[in-house]
Amino acid sequence: MMNKLFKIALVASVVGFALTACTTPEPPKTEPEAAPAPEAAAVQTEAPAAEQPVVNADSLAAAKAKEEAERLEAERARLEALINQIMSEDVYFDFDRSELTEKAKELLAQVAELLIKETRFSITIEGHTDARGTEDYNFTLGAKRAMKVKEFLAAYGIDAKRMESVSYGKEAPKAAGESEEAYSQNRRANFRVNIRD
Amino acid sequence: MKKKTIAFRFSTLAISIALGVMFLLPSLSFAAIDTIAVDVGISVFKTMPIGIVPFTEPKENIEWIEEKPHQILTRDANLSGRFEVVASDKFNLALFSRKHVKHYVTGKVTKQDGNNLRVDCYLYIAQTKDMLVGETYVVPQQELRRAMHKFFDLVIKRLWGERGVASTKLAYVSKMDGIKQVVVSDYDGYHRSQITRDTSISMMPVWMKGNAGLVYVNFKTHRPRLYFKKFGGVEQPLFPFLDQTYSPAVNPVTGELLFSSTVDGKTDLYIGNMSSGKARKFAYLKSNQTSPAWSPYATEVLFTSDRGGGPQIFVMGKDGSDMRRVTFMGRYNERASWSPEGDRIAYTSMDNGKMNIYTCALDGSDIVQLTNNAGNNEHPTWSPDGKLIAFASNRGGSYQIYIMRKDGSNVTRITNSGENTSPTWSFFYDDLD
Repeated sequence: MMNKLFKIALVASVVGFALTACTTPEPPKTEPEAAPAPEAAAVQTEAPAAEQPVVNADSLAAAKAKEEAERLEAERARLEALINQIMSEDVYFDFDRSELTEKAKELLAQVAELLIKETRFSITIEGHTDARGTEDYNFTLGAKRAMKVKEFLAAYGIDAKRMESVSYGKEAPKAAGESEEAYSQNRRANFRVNIRD
Repeated sequence: MKKKTIAFRFSTLAISIALGVMFLLPSLSFAAIDTIAVDVGISVFKTMPIGIVPFTEPKENIEWIEEKPHQILTRDANLSGRFEVVASDKFNLALFSRKHVKHYVTGKVTKQDGNNLRVDCYLYIAQTKDMLVGETYVVPQQELRRAMHKFFDLVIKRLWGERGVASTKLAYVSKMDGIKQVVVSDYDGYHRSQITRDTSISMMPVWMKGNAGLVYVNFKTHRPRLYFKKFGGVEQPLFPFLDQTYSPAVNPVTGELLFSSTVDGKTDLYIGNMSSGKARKFAYLKSNQTSPAWSPYATEVLFTSDRGGGPQIFVMGKDGSDMRRVTFMGRYNERASWSPEGDRIAYTSMDNGKMNIYTCALDGSDIVQLTNNAGNNEHPTWSPDGKLIAFASNRGGSYQIYIMRKDGSNVTRITNSGENTSPTWSFFYDDLD
C-alpha cells in the first residue's frame, strides 16, 4: 500500500517537474494564488509548545524539549509531504467531459485514503478546462468536473463538510500553449489542502 | 409615441408615392431621386456612397497630433458599415457623380485662443451644394476625435434617419502584466481607460443601464464573483450570499441583472436587483444554464443549456415559460447575443476545436457563418444600432478586438497590442442630441 502510494507520489513529482521544465519558464500569473504557504504556516504555529525548560532538571528537560521539537518537526514534515502529495495529484479529463477516467478513480482512491487517515485535512477541489470554448461554458464545465471528484470522494466516505468545490474555467491553465499536450494537462481537477485544528 | 407612428406612416406613404412616381417617370430630376434614395436607402443599398473632402486649414500650419478631421470621419464612415467612402482632395462633382455620391462632408479648421481648434463641419448635397448639417465644435486637439464622432452621428441621423454608434463605447478585457483587467474605450479603440486594477483576474464586463458603470467578474476571493463599479465610483460586491457568480446580463429595461451561479457543481440562472442586493433563482431546470442574454425589450432571454450533453442555445420568456431550443446544427453553440432589431442572434460555435461566429433567426433557421479560416473568433456583441458586431479573434496571432458588419464583411481591427478579449458594446448614450 505505502509502496504504491510512494510510487504515485514519485510519478506525480516527476510529471510535475517535467511539466515545469518543458513549459515556458514564465509562471502563469493569471492563476489565482493557490500557494501552500498559509497551510505550512498553520502547521508551524504548533511548534512553540516545545519551550519553557524546567529549572531543576535542566539537562533532562532540555533533552525532552529537543526530542519533542524533533517529533513535531517530523510530524510537520510528514504533513507537509502529504499535503504536497495531495496537491500534486491532479485528476485529468477528456475533452468536454466530466466523467472520471479509471486512472482518475485510482488516484482519487489514494487521496481518499489519505483524507480518511488525516481527519484534520479539509480540501478545496478546483475544476479546470482547456483553452478551447467560451469562458462562460467552461466555468460550468470546470464546476461539473470538480463536482464529480467531490462525489467520488464522498462515496468513498469523506464527509462532504470537509470538501469545497470551485471552478476556475479556463482561467488558470497549468500548461501554456495550444497543443493537445497542453490541453490535456489543463483539463483537470486539483486540490488545495487546509488543516483544521 | 403617437408622433412617431404618424411620422413613420408618413414616410412609408412618401416612399410608396415616390417609388410609384419613379416607376412611371424614370427621367425624374436628380434632386428628387436623391430624396428617395435617402429614405429607402436601408432596403435599397447595402452601403451609401459618401464623399469626404479634407477640411480647409489656416495658412499658419496646425501641428497635428491627432489624425485630421477628414481622416477621423473616413474611419468612422468605414467602421459604420453604412457607407462607401469616396475620397477626394477637393469638391469634384464629376467624380462624385460617377461614383453615385449624393452627399459629401467637409469643413474648415481655424486656430482659437490657447490650445483650442474651431472645427466647422458640413454635410452637403453634392448636386446642389445645399447644406444638410452644419455644426461647429471648439475643442482642444485631444478631443477632436470625439467631436468628429458626434458630427458623424449627426450625418448618419440626417442620411439614415437612425442613430449611429460613433459615440458609443466598448468594454473588454485586456491583459496587463499577465493579469486580465477590465478596460473601456471608444468604439474605435481610442481613448482607452482601465477600470479594474487588481492582482487577481477581472473578466466578463457588461454595461449597466444608462452606461452608468460596469458589472464584471473578479477572482479576489479565489472564486468567481460579480462586482459592479459605477464610473468614478468604487467597486462593490454583488450578491455575496450566492456562490460562484458569473455570466452577467443587464436587463436593458429595468437594469436588473441576470447571471449564473454555481452551487455544488450545479449552475443555474438567477435574477438580482443591484440596488437592493436581492436575488432569486430565475428558472428551475435540471440542466446547467449559463450565458444569458436579454431580447431588446427584455421580454425573453436567450441562454445556454447542457441538457443535450454539449452546450446549445435556448430561449424562454422572462418568467421562465415557453422554453424552446434555438440551435441544432453542430455540438457546441454558446453565448448568444440578441440583435437590437430583435430578429437574429449572434453566437459562438465550435467545430474541431476552432471557434467561429454565426448568426441565425430566432427559430434557428437561416444560419450564416460570419467568420471562417481565420483563427478563433468568439464573443460577438452587437452595436446598439444593430449594424455591426464586435468580437475577439486571434487571427493575427494574439487576441484582439475586431468590428465587422453583421453580414461578416468589412472586418476591421480596433486594438493593436497585448491581448484583448470579451468585448461588450455599450448602450446608446442618451445625452447626444
